[in-house]
Amino acid sequence: MVFLSPQLVLDLLKRLFSRARVGSIAFLLCAPMLMSEGVLAQQVDGGDADKQTIQMLIRRIDQLEARVAQLEASKAPAPAASEQAPNPRAPAPPAIETEAPAEHSEPERMDMTKTLLNIRGFGDVTLHGDTHRGDTTSFTLGQLDLFVTSDISEKFKFLSEVVFEAGDDNVFGVDLERYLLQFSPNDYFNVSAGRYHTGIGYYNTAYHHSTWLQTATGRPFLFQFEDDDGILPIHNVGVSATGMIPSGRLGLHYIAEVGNGRASSSPHAEPVQNTVDENNGKSFNLGFYFRPTGVRGLQAGVSVYHDGLRPIASPAISETIIAAHAVIVRPNFEWLNEALVIRHAPDGSTRVFDTPGFYTQVSKRFGSYRPYFRYQYVNAADAEPVFPQVRRQQGPSVGVRYDPSDSAALKLQYDHTTLRGQPATDGLSLQLGFTF
Amino acid sequence: MGVPMRRLANILFFTIIVLTHGGLDPALRVAAATPPPAGGSEQAVAIIVNQSNPVENFSFDDLRKIFLGERSHWPNGRRITLVMLDPSQPERKAVLRDIYGMSEKDFNNHFIQGVFSGAVFVSPKNLATPPDVLKFVFNVPGAIGYVRASDVDSTVKVLRVDGRVPADKDYRFRLNARSGK
Repeated sequence: MVFLSPQLVLDLLKRLFSRARVGSIAFLLCAPMLMSEGVLAQQVDGGDADKQTIQMLIRRIDQLEARVAQLEASKAPAPAASEQAPNPRAPAPPAIETEAPAEHSEPERMDMTKTLLNIRGFGDVTLHGDTHRGDTTSFTLGQLDLFVTSDISEKFKFLSEVVFEAGDDNVFGVDLERYLLQFSPNDYFNVSAGRYHTGIGYYNTAYHHSTWLQTATGRPFLFQFEDDDGILPIHNVGVSATGMIPSGRLGLHYIAEVGNGRASSSPHAEPVQNTVDENNGKSFNLGFYFRPTGVRGLQAGVSVYHDGLRPIASPAISETIIAAHAVIVRPNFEWLNEALVIRHAPDGSTRVFDTPGFYTQVSKRFGSYRPYFRYQYVNAADAEPVFPQVRRQQGPSVGVRYDPSDSAALKLQYDHTTLRGQPATDGLSLQLGFTF
Repeated sequence: MGVPMRRLANILFFTIIVLTHGGLDPALRVAAATPPPAGGSEQAVAIIVNQSNPVENFSFDDLRKIFLGERSHWPNGRRITLVMLDPSQPERKAVLRDIYGMSEKDFNNHFIQGVFSGAVFVSPKNLATPPDVLKFVFNVPGAIGYVRASDVDSTVKVLRVDGRVPADKDYRFRLNARSGK
């Protein structure tokens, strides 16, 4: 057992603060140890850990002292004259030209002395009213989205989206919408493992859970989230690979995904199979898109998704989703076009259910204002076995987005939606979206 | 399907009209290939990389992809670290104009969305002064940045862009706004 005595702490402090320049760093290193001294003193076990910690701190102090000595030595003499003409803005030549940067020497080592988290938040508040029977005009708190990334090393990165959202029962819940470890060895192969947004089409992987980034107040019908009666497997848990395909100015890219797919045993099951798959079959998604350098902002592509659904009370269903998109996204102009077909083929039946859908959205910015227009359409059969409630929905949306600042957007949107077998509805929304 | 298809056709027609009647982003036209103004190389903005970087020359299209974050690795596999000067610096204004074709706000939005969507692996690093950029590029093998050509010293390597160096008359990145603006 190693007892972390006060004398030892004082000795460490003395060494730490013997160099004023490393004082702040040393304090940071030492503070956790001081705070935990009382706890450590009471521990009978764990002595080996204490010993290792002390040894690590001493080694770290030695390294810092050596580094300070090098820096001080480099400042003493006048810098070597540059070969070029004297220039007051030019920097002095680096002090230790032979020293390899940390990135060189230990490229995959995590710096444990500092936090690596970067956090950006998104949120929105909406006032919405419509003519649908039973609906009330309400202020609605949108998703509070905390987007967290961490550059773990040169090739590894962590990414997550933690969303706080209230349901129709007004009770807030927390969802981990994305949760990914990314490995990026080069531009041609990047692989991510965890929970991701399925690479079907464009919208789903471009805007995720932020309304501030979107031009309109909400997502198109086709790309609604699963818990908002969406018809696509928006989220998936598995492995996703993306990258460039050498193609010159064509800018061809691929995306390939394998995941658990969506839950299908019961309509009440959690749609995203986060920890347990209902069956051994996996969903597959393969897509290609290009971004030619000749037309800035253009992206066009196709994707094919396949999964096997296993409802308990009905035959297995083969699900295939074919999607195509062509978008132009520039700072002042945006034109999104996507179309897809969802095919459900029940086993033992000759009937196949095809659900087509598309949307087009165009907007142009005039200063702080961006008027926009969207038309969307989806048509599911009444007997559709997976989402019978969708039926046919279509209609235009017109709105204007006003950006009073770089981090807030005010949107006013009118929607007219016709539904098969029901009266058309008109809705008006005023939304404040923001990032922080 | 008939009615919605007709509506879609109308919408497509409308957007084509917008596109063909001045609907294109004028800021993007700025970055298109146009002849640079006459001027001394002292007003040129040099694209610099670490001395160990094997790359000597880049096309403008490839360079733009790097600055947009669409490419995240050098050919030798090392991750690209883009360094930008603070918004107050004239070199940054020139880069936003000539490479990005974006305003400061558009630039910020581009990287927020890029990192958010996963299309951009890492955001650019902001540094206050050209000497800071030189020091950073010297110390980080995968770094790429820019400084005024007259600020360049022997600690970094200047990239050729489309085969041209800042001293060339037809080099395209300069502090001054291009003629016609």
